[in-house]
Amino acid sequence: MESPASPASRLDFYDFIARMRRPAAAGLFHSIRNFLASLSQGEPNAEEGGARVQAFFAEMEAAIRDHPLWANASNQEIDNALEGLEKFIMTKLFDRTFASSAEDVKADMEITEKIGLLQRFVRPHHLDIPKVLHNETAWLLAVKELQKINSFKSPREKLICVLSCCQIINNLLLNVSMSNDRTLSGADDFLPILIYITIKANPPQLHSNLKFIQLFRRETKLISEVEYYLTNLISAKMFIINVDGRSLSMEESVFQAHMESARLGNHISVASSTSSQGLGTSTAGLNEESGVTEGLRFPFMDSETESLTPGEVKQLHEHYRKVVTRYKLLSKALRKLSVDEDQLLNSVDD
Amino acid sequence: MGCSSSVPARSTGGLNNINNDNSATDSKDLRAKLVLLGDSGVGKSCIVLRFVRGQFDPTSKVTVGASFLSQTLALEDSTIVKFEIWDTAGQERYAALAPLYYRGAAAAVVVYDITSPESFSKAQYWVKELQKHGTPDIIMVLVGNKADLHENRHVSSQEAQEYAEKNNMVFIETSAKTADNINQVFEEIAKRLPRPTAS
Repeated sequence: MESPASPASRLDFYDFIARMRRPAAAGLFHSIRNFLASLSQGEPNAEEGGARVQAFFAEMEAAIRDHPLWANASNQEIDNALEGLEKFIMTKLFDRTFASSAEDVKADMEITEKIGLLQRFVRPHHLDIPKVLHNETAWLLAVKELQKINSFKSPREKLICVLSCCQIINNLLLNVSMSNDRTLSGADDFLPILIYITIKANPPQLHSNLKFIQLFRRETKLISEVEYYLTNLISAKMFIINVDGRSLSMEESVFQAHMESARLGNHISVASSTSSQGLGTSTAGLNEESGVTEGLRFPFMDSETESLTPGEVKQLHEHYRKVVTRYKLLSKALRKLSVDEDQLLNSVDD
Repeated sequence: MGCSSSVPARSTGGLNNINNDNSATDSKDLRAKLVLLGDSGVGKSCIVLRFVRGQFDPTSKVTVGASFLSQTLALEDSTIVKFEIWDTAGQERYAALAPLYYRGAAAAVVVYDITSPESFSKAQYWVKELQKHGTPDIIMVLVGNKADLHENRHVSSQEAQEYAEKNNMVFIETSAKTADNINQVFEEIAKRLPRPTAS
């Protein structure tokens, strides 16, 4: 598989630019300039832009096929020219088409933040990844491929990052099946690993990158195997957005406790890196927050033991479980930060 | 688990090149997206690997990985069908993602394991999902896999056959292990694919 920065792909692009500079290409060049100018007016709208760009690609494909500069050219040569065109157009339009709306920016931020939390506690077994497929080295390679996605501005090059990541996972599956005489895995193993890799990688602007590829990669190229692997990353994103306790095989209360403890962890690390009294500041924030929600969270604090109904006892037990889980996680988080629990408790005025 | 030997006969060493020319297709050639649904462990990927390895088509490209595979099948009327087979993750936690995969599919193969009644209920769940949200006119095949394990059978052929008839599906029992009936699954689909209207 070619790499986005491989000499071959750069050559294609320069070849395209060189041909466009020839006097014979003046007509094509003119169309491109007009198109760019027309698309650069008005408010950016990615969806509408996508439709117009795709229509322009189709129009240009026909024009290039009929053009004397490409007379007798092979399909491959024409395809190279179209790849050059895609890269040229999308680099020029990048700022107007990539993460160009407030909603996109917000969606990106939400996913990044969510993955940041999930990273702290999601482990391979939560996603059904069998032990035999645990391979930190291969996973790290896949993570790195996915993280490269923002190093490129053309849809094709971004897509190659996704495909390279998937290929590393496939190679892992193939190697494991050969060395363990195990059935070559299908999607039952592939998707969980891809989701895990996506969580580990927390690829920048995941939502916008996927949207950009879907809208602006030449339609005729977004088919078959390529479409399948892109769909897998889209589905990984969807899984992450909708993740809950059930989807990770844990009690919802435990999941929420994990998320909260991860939030707390992030909060403390942010606070302590920005202020010399980081811990003091963040515990103050914690007190304030728990003051507001205490009544809701601990409804039996003021109840008389004798007056509890069996139903309430059951509820109380459920609460107890939540509190214990939460306490355990908090203690663990504090130990990780090398904070002594008792000392911390003593420092809080009540 | 396992479907005898496990590795594709030949691999080209990578995903199909991103720039692969989508070679000009003959008017008699059909391209069909096929999605595989079914509980994890019922042998979805085994069935496909069997199908793909069993064909002797020197031009077919078997890529690394069993979650996407493509294979061409030549029919008696000289139609050539290129199947693009999309596998889905069968675990419950991934069920909500399936619509992303079966969107636009011409055919769906819903697989269960004849030794597992749970997998048969799961198959029925997928059939309902496809009826509600799948492509209209999607060709559906119900496949009872692991037919070689008949001494452990817990889903009767008759029950499955009746269910399939009621839901307008083709029903086939297969064994990916012995390759029994594997090709039939794909041939039955190929026969039913709409032919391009002659112009």
